[in-house]
Amino acid sequence: MEVEIDEKDLKAAGAELLTDCGRHGLRIHGWEIESCKRSILNSSTLQHWEQKLGTSHLPEMIFGENSLILKHCKSGTKIHFNAFDALSGWKKEALPPVEVPAAAKWKFRSKPSQQVILDYDYTFTTPYCGSETIELPVEKNGEGHLCWEESKEKINVIALASKEPILFYDEVVLYEDELADNGVSLLTVKVRVMPNCWFLLLRFWLRVDGVLMRLRDTRMHCIFGDSADPIVLRESCWRESTFQDLSAKGYPSDSAAYNDPAIISQRLPIIMQKTQKLVIP
Amino acid sequence: MSDLDRQIEQLKKCEPLKESEVKALCLKAMEILVEESNVQRVDAPVTICGDIHGQFYDMKELFKVGGDCPKTNYLFLGDFVDRGYYSVETFLLLLALKVRYPDRITLIRGNHESRQITQVYGFYDECLRKYGSVNVWRYCTEIFDYLSLSALIENKVFSVHGGLSPAISTLDQIRTIDRKQEVPHDGAMCDLLWSDPEDIVDGWGLSPRGAGFLFGGSVVTSFNHSNNIDYICRAHQLVMEGYKWMFNKQIVTVWSAPNYCYRCGNVAAILELDENLDKEFRVFDAAPQESRGSPAKKPAPDYFL
Repeated sequence: MEVEIDEKDLKAAGAELLTDCGRHGLRIHGWEIESCKRSILNSSTLQHWEQKLGTSHLPEMIFGENSLILKHCKSGTKIHFNAFDALSGWKKEALPPVEVPAAAKWKFRSKPSQQVILDYDYTFTTPYCGSETIELPVEKNGEGHLCWEESKEKINVIALASKEPILFYDEVVLYEDELADNGVSLLTVKVRVMPNCWFLLLRFWLRVDGVLMRLRDTRMHCIFGDSADPIVLRESCWRESTFQDLSAKGYPSDSAAYNDPAIISQRLPIIMQKTQKLVIP
Repeated sequence: MSDLDRQIEQLKKCEPLKESEVKALCLKAMEILVEESNVQRVDAPVTICGDIHGQFYDMKELFKVGGDCPKTNYLFLGDFVDRGYYSVETFLLLLALKVRYPDRITLIRGNHESRQITQVYGFYDECLRKYGSVNVWRYCTEIFDYLSLSALIENKVFSVHGGLSPAISTLDQIRTIDRKQEVPHDGAMCDLLWSDPEDIVDGWGLSPRGAGFLFGGSVVTSFNHSNNIDYICRAHQLVMEGYKWMFNKQIVTVWSAPNYCYRCGNVAAILELDENLDKEFRVFDAAPQESRGSPAKKPAPDYFL
């Protein structure tokens, strides 16, 4: 649905757009929310990243300079999203590779001599759920750390469903890989800012054609308040299913039916879910 | 003006043909393609182009940079369809040019010229949306089976969409493949359209997916040596700079879809070979937004949850 951002709505909410130097974002209730979108990394930067991450394989489309930053100005708290940190998470998790359906047939192919089998996680699955830092003024010496606590609260989805005006919206791709035409691996973050809150969805979406789908969602929600310290709720929800299980449940098992994770996410069973809370000092 | 010339003019405006016209065009194309070798001979000068992926307006930029067909002799390395918005117009324009000027344009098959892949990555849906039936998809995918698998320029430059196969050490082995079929899941024909060069292996490597070969520098050296060719020119992999040499200039990747998927911001390239096979890469950008005929693709705000 197309929503036009209205000057009057911005004004009424006490928000102002960031207009300097081609920036894209806004200031609202002590937050500065900003997105940045650039090209994919060039070959030399890609090599540099390979060295830094200690790998020789990275997604073919890394939007290395793309970011979403939400900064609480008074406390210096910065919640941000970038490809590098997400790929560090991938490298650390290091899941075993997933075989594609054709692999079964390939096992019977005559092997060339001196064949090397690569075994990195080509799906680029990451546990990444955002990065955070506290940027303190120089006299208070450097950076602090933030502590997410377990929480029993839930993000108020009903309130979020109300069609309040959207003052700022963007979708930022962090990385993407076509799995050499065997599916899709995509990490994106979407944000919307309304007069009384901001809400974002970081989504890792994986489809290995004919084999499996994986969805790792992180949602964050912060309601603007006048007095108390702001609270950010973070819900992570991981879903996963094989095509085999889907077809056993009577769902279609062709890959073409699974292009849009937003539509099919409910069909994938939840394998992990947790909520955390960050109280901004 | 002949029907065919009129159709070419229409396609150049990004207007698709009628279903009956597509059917007739495909029949004519089939008569031409069936005569071509699996290793189609191509004369220099020639301009080599990599993946297009339905980015019609960017292909028009390509023709602006490289010159019009038939004045320029073209070799396209496959992956005409899928991913972009205009696979139908892109493929039909190339096919119409092939029928009109068979000796001035060579089209070889990419891994996306396949029934299975186009059903997942866009061409099938686009045909259904633009024609209300899958007939045009059927005609086109039948033609895909007739596309040649590789080209040999002046006996010196071997061109293929993906790369080499452990089942192939000589060009004659490619010539014996029965290509008129859907791209198989394994074997020599599959490898030619799917495999990739890989820095970290020297000989052969197997992809972590369990299917798909990777080949290293020594494989290329020995292939080039035994077939007496200077280098291999291939496509299939996105390169931010439009082209990329590997293994001491024994193989080059050419990528011709600028701003791939309308968001990568990469440049594209074509490789021009003159009559002496001297090389010049021509790098080009995506078509400016205003010449695309469709509005800018800004993300539409939505109330996602």
